[in-house]
Amino acid sequence: MSIHILLSVFFGIVFGYFFAPEIIIQKIDVIIDFGLCLLLFFVGIDIGKNKNIIDDVKSYGLKIFLIPIMIVLGTLFGSMTASLFLKLSLFESAAVGAGLGWYSLSAIELSKHSAELGTIAFLANVSREVIALMIIPIIAKKIGHIETIAAAGATSMDTSLPVITKATSSSISVLSFFCGVILSFLVPILVPLMMSFN
Amino acid sequence: MRILLYIAIISLGALFGYKNLVSQKIFDKMNIIQYVCLLFLLFVMGVKIGINKDVLMSFHKLGFSAVVIAAFSVAFSVLAVKIISNFIKTESKVE
Repeated sequence: MSIHILLSVFFGIVFGYFFAPEIIIQKIDVIIDFGLCLLLFFVGIDIGKNKNIIDDVKSYGLKIFLIPIMIVLGTLFGSMTASLFLKLSLFESAAVGAGLGWYSLSAIELSKHSAELGTIAFLANVSREVIALMIIPIIAKKIGHIETIAAAGATSMDTSLPVITKATSSSISVLSFFCGVILSFLVPILVPLMMSFN
Repeated sequence: MRILLYIAIISLGALFGYKNLVSQKIFDKMNIIQYVCLLFLLFVMGVKIGINKDVLMSFHKLGFSAVVIAAFSVAFSVLAVKIISNFIKTESKVE
């Protein structure tokens, strides 16, 4: 599964870079939205077929909020650790990581500071999404189901959700969507917040 | 707004699933359709990244920093959730 995912994204990038005809470029957001909605509909069917799902998710109780909190803490700590190996400052690196995989928003926000930082934010968050898509099936097998949400970050409510659902179970996809929504709300707050410490 | 659309679509799907409007036969075939759709979506997302030539051109210069930040972010957030995942699961079973 991971290799199919990697190849799809890779061929897409190559196709986009060398060939993409104008007509596709114009309609690309519509195609992505349509594909995403179709997949979310399928995720919904999986969820609906599992009759115990509400009890499953209820059993987590308020602890459910711990998941996005730990994802944010882990991401910030991780990206700050990364800065030790890079020319970026502690909080510049944290601000890039705080995109949580939402590359369009974090890139726009950070290009206000410098074009270079905006580009790093775009590339880093695209990379997070691609890394997540590839390793979610492996994390599900070797580490655990809830941990797949951590890799996906904010994309756990949209682009990574079908992959998470396929690799885990429909109760995890409900958790995943929930965490993705919370994380997506946090991105526009966290990115400028990190830069304000810089 | 987008979140509301996603919730609406997932709920609609859930209603279809819950009411068994999709027979098991179609459901089994749907798994393959779903997978093909997923790979196609990822391809198109790749195309969208590929179109962004200026950004991709700077990959050789800035790509290393980007990938390092991404890899550390993923690794540490998986680790952070791993620390609490047993607590979340065992506690919920006790309840």
